[in-house]
Amino acid sequence: MEKDININFFKPVGDFMTKDVSMKKLILVIWFVAVYGFLFLLKLVADPNATAQVKLSTGEVVTQVVGKSFLTETQFLGFPFHYWYSAQFCIALFIFLCWWYCKFIDKLESEHSKK
Amino acid sequence: MKKLMQWGLSLFFVLMASNVFAAGVQDLNPEGKFKVIPAIMMIALLILFVMVGVFAKAQNTEDYWAAGRGVGQIGGGMAIASNWMSAASYLGMAGLIYLKGYFAISYVLGWTGGYVLLLVLMAGQVRRYGKYTAPDFIGDRYYSTTARLMSALIVILISFVYSVGQYKGIGMMFNWIFGINYQTSVIVGTGVVLAYVLISGMLGATKNMQVQYVVIVITFFLPLFFIANKLGYFSAVPQIGYGAALWDIGHGGNGIAEAAADASYYLPFAKYTAYHWFALCITLMLGTAGLPHVIGRFYVVPRVSDARWQVVWGLFCIALVYWTAPCYAAFAKFSNLLGTGGVNIAPDAIVVNAAELAGLPEWFAGFLAAGGVSAAFSTVGGLLMAGASAFAHDIYFRVMNPNTTEEKKMVIARVGTIVLGVSIIIAALNPPALIAQITAVAFSLGANTFFPLFLLGLWWSRTTKEAAIAGMVVGLAVTFGSMLIPKTSLLAYYVPFTSSAVLGVPAVLITMIVVSLMTPEPAQEIKELLYKVHNDE
Repeated sequence: MEKDININFFKPVGDFMTKDVSMKKLILVIWFVAVYGFLFLLKLVADPNATAQVKLSTGEVVTQVVGKSFLTETQFLGFPFHYWYSAQFCIALFIFLCWWYCKFIDKLESEHSKK
Repeated sequence: MKKLMQWGLSLFFVLMASNVFAAGVQDLNPEGKFKVIPAIMMIALLILFVMVGVFAKAQNTEDYWAAGRGVGQIGGGMAIASNWMSAASYLGMAGLIYLKGYFAISYVLGWTGGYVLLLVLMAGQVRRYGKYTAPDFIGDRYYSTTARLMSALIVILISFVYSVGQYKGIGMMFNWIFGINYQTSVIVGTGVVLAYVLISGMLGATKNMQVQYVVIVITFFLPLFFIANKLGYFSAVPQIGYGAALWDIGHGGNGIAEAAADASYYLPFAKYTAYHWFALCITLMLGTAGLPHVIGRFYVVPRVSDARWQVVWGLFCIALVYWTAPCYAAFAKFSNLLGTGGVNIAPDAIVVNAAELAGLPEWFAGFLAAGGVSAAFSTVGGLLMAGASAFAHDIYFRVMNPNTTEEKKMVIARVGTIVLGVSIIIAALNPPALIAQITAVAFSLGANTFFPLFLLGLWWSRTTKEAAIAGMVVGLAVTFGSMLIPKTSLLAYYVPFTSSAVLGVPAVLITMIVVSLMTPEPAQEIKELLYKVHNDE
């Protein structure tokens, strides 16, 4: 066997798979940052003085920063901004990412006459 | 192997019966009032579903399994959406948002964001691999009958857990409409689902799913315009209008005194931590990409490209409802703070309650109740099919009796459907948690087992049969372990039973990689096939 046929997401083989995988990585990074990066940002910019008592499932009661910040106190379309971002924008972004990937892969497949 | 299966099943029944997470079902209709207009709507819908099922009757087993492999893009997308949107989306999600505010938005994102993973990592490759069912894929890819049997068992388990949540939704809505008690409602509702799945198989189910999607969207959207209008919010697009209601809930306004405002509703970490938001959201996302009845839809399309475009359409159809569900939660919360009384509120019926709280005529709420039932029906239909096919195709035909006839297989599939349907009723009579939480357990199970098996199976040709088996064992252990540990323990705090994939998926992936490297490489044919899946030849 002179050809490497081992499939590994991080070591793509063949022209088609190489291009496909780099696009997949790009989309997954955007996807992850958009959802969890934003969560981290909410935590990061939170006003440390706005706290609340939270009862944990262990029964312990702790004082916790509630996450109040300019992201939650700015109104956008009537919404607190972060709520709009999570409940509406992110879903639209997911649809866009899927659409983008489908366009890309259709083109790649026709170039490689793959069905 | 059989022992292991029996052990797993009996453990599960004990678990359900012992009711470790007790939550009684509230009677929504204590006076036993028969609501005439909602009842007529409901009966008309049920007749419609059964009729569609009859007219699109399955001709042979080939149809029964994979709907003849000829469904268009938008049609397929609608089927994905209605198969996907269950009572958990229609009733349960709004209920959790009502209770938990921004924290429960993780359900909305988890159940949509998973589709990106599914599309990018699975859809095209799974279709190109050319198998009929998830256990078929696992049995072939991991060249192992044991792996095939285990995965078939897990498919049945997932169908089981998932359906329990749906039956609860059906039961609650029948209770609200007909005034019969919850237990009777569960049994009556299930009878109808079983009837049409048995008559029609998946071809009927696909047609039915498209009809059901239309019903779901119309019933979910229409009452909202009137609710928004009644409460004084922008009602032309209530999905935008509820934003102001959110603001008023948190800050006071539009009749809510500032002192009565509840800021914990919209603030991100007022009730739960960011970690729990993350754990739940990632579990639901990974579970979405690992649910066999969702992956199962990709075998139905003739071309890979269609399989992918169906996901885009499916996600769009789902998004229409997911953009809307938080509206009901917000409007119900708003009415609640205003102090509207005289309504029996149950979180799992908050969608219907929202219409009642806003003081709309009864038929609006009836509309929603009927829609909730169709959402549950479409999903249960798909789940029962997936469970029955795992039994008849993957266990009976592939392993026990490969020389069986088509007729025999069909009979076994129907018997399997009935057995599964009836055992779900037993668990649903005493449901263990809120609808969306029960459903989240099914997602944890999918995430902890099928997701890593498909991911590594498709993307790392070194993965071996032993790794697959070890992975499934660890996945099952984490999922059920997280249900059994005491709820107040520190471990349960970090690994809640609805979010166990946060621990499970990394644990399974590591197990699978380590075991693979310790066991002999898969055969050359497996690698060649996988190479063809990823590259043109």
